[in-house]
Amino acid sequence: MTTTTLTWPSAGESFREPQAAGRRITIFHCASAIGGITLSEDNSELRTVNMPCSSLTREVVLLKAFEAGADAVVVLVCPEGACHYLEGNIRARKRVAKVKKLLDEIGLDGRRLNIYNISPGDRSAVESIIGQTVSDLVALGPSPAC
Amino acid sequence: MNGSRLERILTSGQFAVTAEVGPPRGANADVVTNKASMLKGYVDAVNVTDNQTAIVRMSSIAACAHVIKAGLEPVMQMVTRDRNRIALQSDILGAYSLGIRNILCLSGDHQTFGSEPGAMNVFDIDSTHLIHAVKDMKDGGKDMSGFEMDTAPKMFIGAVENPFADPFEYRVVRLAKKIAAGAQFIQTQCVFDIKRFHEWMKIAREEGLTDNVHILAGITPLKSARMAKYMATKVSGINIPEEIIRRMESAPKEKAAQEGVKICLETIQQLREIKGLRGVHIMAIEWEEKVPELVKAAGLYPRPQLA
Amino acid sequence: MIVGQQKSMAEIKEKLGPFSRVLLLGCGTCVKTCFAGGEDEVATLAAALRLAFRKDGKNTIIDELTIERQCEDEFIKEAAAAIARNEAVLSLACGAGVQMVASRFGKVPVLPGVDTTFLGVLEKQGLFTEKCLGCGNCIVDTFSGVCPISRCAKKLLNGPCGGSRGGKCEVNPGTDCAWQIIIDRAKESGQTDRLKAYIPPRDWRTSYSGGSRQLYREDHVI
Repeated sequence: MTTTTLTWPSAGESFREPQAAGRRITIFHCASAIGGITLSEDNSELRTVNMPCSSLTREVVLLKAFEAGADAVVVLVCPEGACHYLEGNIRARKRVAKVKKLLDEIGLDGRRLNIYNISPGDRSAVESIIGQTVSDLVALGPSPAC
Repeated sequence: MNGSRLERILTSGQFAVTAEVGPPRGANADVVTNKASMLKGYVDAVNVTDNQTAIVRMSSIAACAHVIKAGLEPVMQMVTRDRNRIALQSDILGAYSLGIRNILCLSGDHQTFGSEPGAMNVFDIDSTHLIHAVKDMKDGGKDMSGFEMDTAPKMFIGAVENPFADPFEYRVVRLAKKIAAGAQFIQTQCVFDIKRFHEWMKIAREEGLTDNVHILAGITPLKSARMAKYMATKVSGINIPEEIIRRMESAPKEKAAQEGVKICLETIQQLREIKGLRGVHIMAIEWEEKVPELVKAAGLYPRPQLA
Repeated sequence: MIVGQQKSMAEIKEKLGPFSRVLLLGCGTCVKTCFAGGEDEVATLAAALRLAFRKDGKNTIIDELTIERQCEDEFIKEAAAAIARNEAVLSLACGAGVQMVASRFGKVPVLPGVDTTFLGVLEKQGLFTEKCLGCGNCIVDTFSGVCPISRCAKKLLNGPCGGSRGGKCEVNPGTDCAWQIIIDRAKESGQTDRLKAYIPPRDWRTSYSGGSRQLYREDHVI
């Protein structure tokens, strides 16, 4: 499994290529949800972050992803009731809800951030989610905070 | 005896009738005078409310003065929500000087219900403290600070009780406390649930309270089914049995008020049979003109002559 | 703890609008425990504000620092350097902390970022409830451990009002009637007789009504 860990770039440092503007997606996933799926590393439009538990996607972490230049952020978690750490995905859901509201309040549009429950290792679900996010971004446009 | 008419009626063992007048949301004294004139001869005294439901109205003390001018005896209601002990005592002295002789002590509806929900409330003292203070003025001639007044007000002191509020069993304890503090008459919240009222009166009798205080049962004639449902759900401390709501709903709209009056008269009849009950307090909300008809139909007219 | 709520994003943005370099100063004591102004809340707010200002095309620099608490000089002085390099401070402490920082750093505008509300407890997960009004003369034992001054909307000392229904207060049906709790507890401990006693009027001089209060502990002064 190939993953990239997000470091905290200072404001303004963008994803690798300028042409990727408007299509930059950061995916947070817990180790269990991703299963054995490989996500390409050499992708100017995609960053992935492996979290030991999805509850670690605290509000500040999600916001920092946008600060680092993401146009959209996806959080992948296991189905509720099937969390390895029992409530991790519930906490993640609440945190995502809070940040979506915050994004609306500051005018960035909460639809840029979404959480999905997937069966561990469900490759087609992941591909379909990425596809959906890319198509959402066509309508939403680049993040106004970049 | 120099007591008020209400006091003399009650102490002579006669069944008392009181009603209620709400002052206007403006400065027109005629509104009060007209209502008082309408009730003259049909009631022994009339309550004048004090910014009821925390809605700003002409002050109770001023409205009471207008009632006296109209030839009727007022019961000045006084809530502890809006004034501290300084203002309350001051108003009691002023009231007595204006000829007011009956006072009803209450805490008052919370200000969030009224026209100024953002106002600070006072509640410096509670209704029991107020009863105590008025009693001390009467018996000892002193105000709350212990100062001996040149002329001490001697009021006939009333309090309220709600047999339909919770906790039920504590209501009688609270009544006993108010009597011990100096309450001489009690007016209850309006009675629709006669069964529960019976239970409460029974406990009051068993505790010997009916020997020490004159209890008047509150009564309100229903004007419509909508009024019945509104009171049952939106007004705190009122219990209306399903049976009564059904009766109001089944009556055709033009006959609803008639049914409401019928229910009211039935209730008065049942109340008169309760041992230890000394009178009725008719709260005909926005329907004061119905009071003379009710008093007559209930067989309570004419009011007794006093020496 | 002292309980408060962070002000709305709109209000905070408006307060910080005129400045190009601001310090978000958090407090690690009461406001941390009610999730209004601790280190985590400072970090989240800072990130959100950066995004918000960038969207508006502004280059506002948001500095972050959280000290143990803002009601004691010993900790406030640690913020001196950070305050010196910023044009304004948004203090996320309670009202006491905001004022203390403002008084120690007179030249810099110190703005409140939290609305302080009450003295309370964490009743259960996520629920903070008011318990004490600081009347200065605690007699909760008279009321089976429940304070009618802070928990009865009418500060009644001699029993419930006529609006108590189903154990709830007439003002807010979600709030318990303090007197119902007092009576229930008295029944449980067999002390209902105590409820019959007349409790006299309060002397409010010990409370806020007597004016802003002070406590001088000479035994702690060298």
